[in-house]
Amino acid sequence: MILSLDCLPEEILHIILCYCHPCSAAALQGTAHRFENAINEPFLWRFYCQAHFKYWDSKHNISQKFSGPISAVNWKALYVYRHRIDRTTSHLLDSILAGQTGRIEKSRAIIGLGYDAKDTLIKSISALVDIDDHLARRYYAKALLTCLHRSIALPVWARLRNGENVALERALGAFDLFIPESGYGSLDEITNKLDDIVEQLSSLCPTSSMSTSRDKARAIAVYLRSNNLTGIQPDREYHCLEHNFLGFALNDPQHNSLPLVSAVIYCHVARRLGLNARPCGFPFHVHVIVKPPLGFDVDGNILGSGVYGDPIYMDPFRSDKETPVANLQNQLSYLGASTLEQSTFLGESQTSEIVLRCSKNILNSVQRISQFSCVNIVPIDTVSARYAALWSTMLLSESSRPEEFRHHLPWLMELFATEFPSDINLVEQYVVPMFRGLLEYEHILESLRVMRAVDEIPKQVKKRSSGSCNVKYRIGQVFQHCRYDYRAIITGWDTECDAGEQWMRRMGVDRLQGGRHQSFYHVLVEDRSVRYVAEENIKPITPHLSELPRTLIAIAGRHFKRWDKETRSFVSNIKDEYPDD
Amino acid sequence: MSSSTLVFTSSDGVDITVDRDVAERSLLIKNMLEDLGESGEPIPIPNVNEAVLKKVIEWCTHHKNDPPSTGDDDDSRRKTTDIDEWDQKFMQVDQEMLFEIILAANYLDIKGLLDVGCKTVANMIKGKSPEEIRKTFNIQNDFTAEEEDQIRRENEWAEDR
Repeated sequence: MILSLDCLPEEILHIILCYCHPCSAAALQGTAHRFENAINEPFLWRFYCQAHFKYWDSKHNISQKFSGPISAVNWKALYVYRHRIDRTTSHLLDSILAGQTGRIEKSRAIIGLGYDAKDTLIKSISALVDIDDHLARRYYAKALLTCLHRSIALPVWARLRNGENVALERALGAFDLFIPESGYGSLDEITNKLDDIVEQLSSLCPTSSMSTSRDKARAIAVYLRSNNLTGIQPDREYHCLEHNFLGFALNDPQHNSLPLVSAVIYCHVARRLGLNARPCGFPFHVHVIVKPPLGFDVDGNILGSGVYGDPIYMDPFRSDKETPVANLQNQLSYLGASTLEQSTFLGESQTSEIVLRCSKNILNSVQRISQFSCVNIVPIDTVSARYAALWSTMLLSESSRPEEFRHHLPWLMELFATEFPSDINLVEQYVVPMFRGLLEYEHILESLRVMRAVDEIPKQVKKRSSGSCNVKYRIGQVFQHCRYDYRAIITGWDTECDAGEQWMRRMGVDRLQGGRHQSFYHVLVEDRSVRYVAEENIKPITPHLSELPRTLIAIAGRHFKRWDKETRSFVSNIKDEYPDD
Repeated sequence: MSSSTLVFTSSDGVDITVDRDVAERSLLIKNMLEDLGESGEPIPIPNVNEAVLKKVIEWCTHHKNDPPSTGDDDDSRRKTTDIDEWDQKFMQVDQEMLFEIILAANYLDIKGLLDVGCKTVANMIKGKSPEEIRKTFNIQNDFTAEEEDQIRRENEWAEDR
């Protein structure tokens, strides 16, 4: 008899199956009984689940499944479920890339698949350059993934707004979910990081050695400071954007964080170790307030039932010692705070107050970056950071003072419409209800309606027929603006100026040499803005791809498939609108 | 002092001299030498004939400086079925020889060779329908028509790729 596949012992067949794609295994299963039985092994499908998918929606309780008895789960069914999600996500993404119509609904469908869609999106984000439409694929997959993360973050702030109890580190961790660079996709990952610190600390100094609240409070501060887990390295710029993000600080080897974030780290560790620790809303610099258990003072002495002992104050950002309350009081008196104000500043902060304070700090850092145009490369996308701050301000401003969140509305709406249009469902879900009964309500609804209509109606096709042969440049052409010098890419054209009369007057279009009756171009500028430029101001350039800013290449995916080395221009992905370009 | 070469006797009675460091790619041989010491006698390899043994030694010679493999659980068997160029060429043999090499690698406990062999088989299955797989490996279809139909329906998900 000739030696063949069905002569191999079971254990070798198993190794071969581990190297097979599950679809191949399914095909092999259909060949003969021998293979049908071998491939029905739950162990194999559990392996496939583990090897092929990294991210699981929380509804699966996957870590529990992986650690539990193998027979408790129908592993093949679970694999097939995830396979279907992967296929659905891929088809929807392909369809989003294939045409500009109906993208909102397709995005909603992908986000609706939940966190299970992430593996597929990640694969597309790392699409290799030999894939025909890799720029577009990366761009839209990333937009969808960050939208997916935001759809996990926003409910946290919404719950906080409704007065529900939300753990401090989750409320603050929600900011990290807006930041692709933070590497986080779920709040549990941040809580786990913090719990690792708790574990290390308790293995080093057993809690039995810390009998009183004061001992404990000090021991925690000493541990965090000596392990560099709180505070900022002395050589670093205090206001750096990344210092505002809890998850980023935990991941970063230097663990740089602002006082607010340091206080949240301290509070989490302290509370896990049984202390009543909360951030304290001291001006300029968030401290931590530690209260002894009811009926005791911080040194463990009995005070009698129902008596509250005095709290102590910690400053985990810069010190491993307590801050005497007299120091804080002196500072407040110096600032002219009344006794009533003093008791507020020295009391506990609500979680929502801490989130709002963090948003303010972020907006502050973002503004500094734009003012000083930092020489250092910012490791965090400033647009996403600003977006996170605007959302949290919007959701957590007091509903009794609508002027506060009304003030932020135009900023949020503009940023959403230009940079994060796939968030339209989130805006409808969270922003619209806040404005019911207010002046802006109809405006918001109208602009969302327009966005949907524009998305659903197929683009008007612009052929290069005889009427438009005077349009000199093509979609994807890179150019330098003759007067303003910026570099940009052509993303659309009109045979003559198509902007409103008012705009033309304001921009002095008729003072141009060619006036309003020359070709005009929609362009994507290297600073991410979108502009409308007359043909006479366009000086085409043919750079190497490496000479263009990386940020421009990344957003080029919005309209383009890839870079063409031969023509040194971008290849259009908007053929449904400009079929001849 | 241990000698620098060993002698293997194949199942068909041929003696083959092997460098010790090459022979020790086989964990079976390595452990045996550690446990029993060296007798100086030829070592019989009862399950492997001369042609296959020579192929195995060729592989071990080429890979004698590879770092030792760590862990042999499924976790290290990730999705990748990439095979380096030399190994690909090495595995261009008829099916009979391919399965002989796999069995020999399994018996002699040479994880690297076993993996390359299994990857080669996995790549032969890749992208094929059940009928094509049967043809490739000469597998007898022992399903009834109903059984076959049922499995096809169960595995329809795998056809949408």
